[in-house]
Amino acid sequence: MKLLIKNAPKIMMFILAAIIITSSTTSCKSKKKLAREKAAAEYTMKVDQAKKDLTAMLNSTTSWSLDQQDERLNVIKSYNIDDKDVVDLISKVESKLSMDRAETERLAEEERLRQIEEEKLKVAASKYQKIDDQLNSIATAQNVDIANKKINLILQQFDTPDIPVLIIISNAGGFNDYDRPTTISRFLNYLKDKQSYQYKVDLVKRDGLGKITELELIKN
Amino acid sequence: MKLSYLWMLVIAMGLSFSVTAQDELSLERKQAVDSLALEKVRDLSKYISIIGSKETDAVEYRRVSARAEELFMSGSEIGVSSLLKSEIKYFTVGKYFERLNRLSYSKVEIEWYNIEYMSDLQKQPDGTYVGVITIFQKFKGYDAEGRLVYQDTTKKDITVYVKRKETQIGGRLIGFWDVLLGDMRVKETSK
Repeated sequence: MKLLIKNAPKIMMFILAAIIITSSTTSCKSKKKLAREKAAAEYTMKVDQAKKDLTAMLNSTTSWSLDQQDERLNVIKSYNIDDKDVVDLISKVESKLSMDRAETERLAEEERLRQIEEEKLKVAASKYQKIDDQLNSIATAQNVDIANKKINLILQQFDTPDIPVLIIISNAGGFNDYDRPTTISRFLNYLKDKQSYQYKVDLVKRDGLGKITELELIKN
Repeated sequence: MKLSYLWMLVIAMGLSFSVTAQDELSLERKQAVDSLALEKVRDLSKYISIIGSKETDAVEYRRVSARAEELFMSGSEIGVSSLLKSEIKYFTVGKYFERLNRLSYSKVEIEWYNIEYMSDLQKQPDGTYVGVITIFQKFKGYDAEGRLVYQDTTKKDITVYVKRKETQIGGRLIGFWDVLLGDMRVKETSK
């Protein structure tokens, strides 16, 4: 008993130290456990989110662009998730994105070619716009005298008044159907009589002097 | 049958098929041909207005009547009626235009309207398409004082013939649709 009292401070210190060591050991273990649990929860969340995102990409239910999907896929791959479903989804999404990208490039190329073609047509159309306007001016002339003057003026562009004029009435299936061929002189007078121009110049052939030797129109 | 004759038959059948294929019309091509025939009738209406107009000089009359005559098959006739007479007279195309141009009115107005197919263009065994187009014609004649002295409305049927032909233009073979008008028969005349 005297020994106990004499050594009380030491014993107290010892007990205190024991308590401190025990409690710190315990809290260390809890922290590790907590950390493990937290990591596990985070991993599970990652896996779930990855599956969700990959499924959305596979089913095209995401609003991400292709680039954004690529980026997200790369992020998921960087996680190195060792889950059978995720690995399978990654493979499928890779394949899908590759096809989507090829399709996007194909459509872009189609659009590019379409625009080039459209531009070519615009240039062609504007190339003959002047002639169309001149022909239309005969049809809309205020009277016969004015129309005749315009006819004489326009005829100067042609090799002779008898050069052939072909009128396409249909080009269904890429096959041209024509009206009865006429001459430029007759056609210009026809426009004067008809007082209506319902055609578009489709082809102009010229000789070495720049005179028109053949005219092809398409009926509107 | 000798083998050579058999081959000739096969080749002939193949050639006729390719020609026939070009003549067989898709819906779009048929519509274009229908439209072309209708347009020729509208052209005729314009020519008749010009020929009948007292403002048309001799030079223009000759040119326009020549163009108008070219729309018709040779031997075609045009019917003429009047509210003042029960008889319908038929004239050759050239004669009709001459009479029209020499009418004694000071001013003539001729308008065609409701130009429509009465029977669609149908293909005949010889490849010609034949149809009938109906027109309504409003005729007005005025005296020197500008008074309306005569008017009538006539319904006429025009037979239309369309055939595919070919010609050489600039060294290439061009296939075209030749539209020719036949007789123009009076069906009814009213005020």
